[in-house]
Amino acid sequence: MFRIPLLVALALIVAFGGGITSAVWALKATVGFGSIAIGPWVAFPEAQTASADPYAKAHRARAGELLFGGAEGLIFTAATDDSGARLSAACSYDISGITPPARFWTLYATTSEGVTLRPGADLPSAANSWTVLRAEDSSFVVHASPVAHPENWLAIRHSGSFKLVLTLLDTPTAGSSGLIDLAMPKIVKTGCGNA
Amino acid sequence: MRSTLFAILVGLFGAALLHIIIVLALPQFTGRDAYTRVFGLLEMDSFFPLTAEPGATGLDNSDPYLRTAVCSFSIAEAPARFIARGAVPFWSLSVFDSNSNEVFSMNDHTAVNGSLDLVVATPIQLVELRKSPPETLAQSIMIEMKDDEGYAVLRALAPLDSFGEQVRNFLVESSCEPFRR
Repeated sequence: MFRIPLLVALALIVAFGGGITSAVWALKATVGFGSIAIGPWVAFPEAQTASADPYAKAHRARAGELLFGGAEGLIFTAATDDSGARLSAACSYDISGITPPARFWTLYATTSEGVTLRPGADLPSAANSWTVLRAEDSSFVVHASPVAHPENWLAIRHSGSFKLVLTLLDTPTAGSSGLIDLAMPKIVKTGCGNA
Repeated sequence: MRSTLFAILVGLFGAALLHIIIVLALPQFTGRDAYTRVFGLLEMDSFFPLTAEPGATGLDNSDPYLRTAVCSFSIAEAPARFIARGAVPFWSLSVFDSNSNEVFSMNDHTAVNGSLDLVVATPIQLVELRKSPPETLAQSIMIEMKDDEGYAVLRALAPLDSFGEQVRNFLVESSCEPFRR
């Protein structure tokens, strides 16, 4: 007697539950299509334009961030290291190599939700291309770690996972369609805990 | 049993439809997109410098070296003019429409003499400005925007703390006003 209403209810639950969950999941999982991925670094050079795909538009409307215009720069984010493991705030990482051509770059860490980590004024929480110490061939090594390191130290005071954000300012990379061979710094885990 | 499977199948079809509708319609009703947040600062026609802590509408300086100022403007009645002068290592400006689509972006290397002087106008206002160009706009970059409302984001770089005051002055002295001749 209640078979038909039950079936209708089942169809509705599947439709609304599945539809809403999958939409929320899709918008959380990615910023949209059209990404540039170089190793663990991911950037979305077209997310702020009118030609962005519907997922990118929905994502930016939910996130409400002030995106970078094409002439301003390009933001690369890394949530994993080079081996594909999530960046853990309990571990130390070496970010080494060179960046693609840009007038200036900045490197800082955020929570997995994208909120900038600010460990305090007395700790070095960010690096930029003016202040970073370099090797003779202008490559650099930044140690992102909860424990103090000599040379370039990016202090991480957080628990759980974090993300690294590398912003290239005034870079030809933003307009590139992948024709230029881009080199991004490597992210390699050097150890966990206080050891 | 078959009818249960059929109900689930119908449900999945509905879920796919709903997924598409949600993704397409979301930009219209989130209420926390970038334009709403900039507009919510209630600072029409002047640049509002953001702080490191999220402000009233959740906007902050996410990059430790970049200071950001935002301005919401309307060109329904008069064109908007953006001016900024000063010596900072790097500045950049992006203009977005009310759907947060990029209309125009530039930085100090693409500007005339390294200072910002930009006029945003509707196509009709632009025709009038071109017909009889005012002398004050001789050096200005003029761009066209189809949408009546939008926001501008001005970023200035302070690579060291000692640049802090210079950058703060740059942002405070920048202007974002309707242009009247």
